[in-house]
Amino acid sequence: MLRSYHSASPAAVAAMRAMFAARKQVFVDLLGWDLPVLAGRYELDQFDTKDARYLILSETDGAHLASARLLPTTMPHLLDSHFRQLCDQAPPAGPGIFEITRFCLDRRLTAARRRDARDQLVRGLVDFALENGILTYTGVAEPAWLKQILAFGWACRTLGRVQAIDGMALAALSIDIGPDTPGRLDRAGVIGRPLCLRAEAA
Amino acid sequence: MSLAKLAEECADAIAQAASLDELAGVLAVIALDMGFRYFALTHHLDIPRAPRPAIRLHNYPAAWADYFDAQRLGPSDPVHRASHMTGVGFAWSRLPGLIQLTARDLDVLDRARRSGIGEGFTVPAHIPGEAAGSCSFAMKPGVPLRADRLHLPQLVGGLAFEAARRLMMLRPLPADRPNLTDRQRECLYWAARGKTDGEIAGIIGISHETVILHLKQARARYGVYKRTQLAVHALFDGALSFVDVLGR
Repeated sequence: MLRSYHSASPAAVAAMRAMFAARKQVFVDLLGWDLPVLAGRYELDQFDTKDARYLILSETDGAHLASARLLPTTMPHLLDSHFRQLCDQAPPAGPGIFEITRFCLDRRLTAARRRDARDQLVRGLVDFALENGILTYTGVAEPAWLKQILAFGWACRTLGRVQAIDGMALAALSIDIGPDTPGRLDRAGVIGRPLCLRAEAA
Repeated sequence: MSLAKLAEECADAIAQAASLDELAGVLAVIALDMGFRYFALTHHLDIPRAPRPAIRLHNYPAAWADYFDAQRLGPSDPVHRASHMTGVGFAWSRLPGLIQLTARDLDVLDRARRSGIGEGFTVPAHIPGEAAGSCSFAMKPGVPLRADRLHLPQLVGGLAFEAARRLMMLRPLPADRPNLTDRQRECLYWAARGKTDGEIAGIIGISHETVILHLKQARARYGVYKRTQLAVHALFDGALSFVDVLGR
């Protein structure tokens, strides 16, 4: 099920722990990013704070499927702290703007389930925005991932050209979310068949 | 959510950790939730060189941990020393009231700040006979510690250290520990206070031979041969306390 977390309940702590472990497997082990690792198992960085929000898609037994971190742009976030040069103008920031980072699909997923997990998480991000008054998401993506994001059918645009930073090609982007966004995703085929689960309100 | 409910949730999450690695993950999440950036649960030992078992879990910046170990700060860190002065959690701003801060202490605190560690809160964890320890939570520099929000960290710190001890199996389970009878313990109590077998017999009103027998059986239960060893073992596992031995 897809939930947003901001609680210390054992279920929430277990889901967050599973997410930090999956992030380590994806971003450190698979992609080789230079990130701090806790106890050899968990990836957390300075942007994982009380102000971050997490959307986590889990199996019914709590196993991690996919997750994303949402950072308020009123606080320090990646685009303004590390990747400002990717934006032709000042990075969009404000109360209705959140940055999506650590979009993470579990390594154990098969290609078909991976696609479903990706689509469900994208739809979850849209629902979360609509429920919480978020008007715009920002983010940073590599070209291959950027191409996918642009094809989701939502109102997405790049904020500057692709540039090489620390050996990675990256671009900044923003996505405007509105009442028409779910329909646009439908038309682009971003459906996200349920993996096992039902969506729950935060 | 009420503090009681939050406390219960944190306690459950900590209790469910099945390994030290899991406990580290649980603490990282709970620390975040309590508004802290870092946690550190540690024995106050020079960890890289200390005899095992020694506990340390933390998510401090690696550069700070390296400096800490290179300087062998485990036993001398000002926060660790201050935590030997109290039984409850304290904000680091209270350090000067707990210990005399040396020039080196001030340098250590300054370096910690420059490594990205700001204000913090430390919960002491002292078990007689074991290395002293503590569980700390720290903010990024510039983020204030809310004095009215320290009840939960106090509870979480205590529970977390206890969970680490459980997972490290620092003590045998109660069922596997020697257990003295009341009479054996009474004889040992007086023996540890320096009484001879004859004096003990007079004090508690049993025969000299019976005192000898009780103490012999008590030694056998701990698998030791001398009454001094027996007293030390009993002090370690809590059958006897220092107050028993030193009291007037």
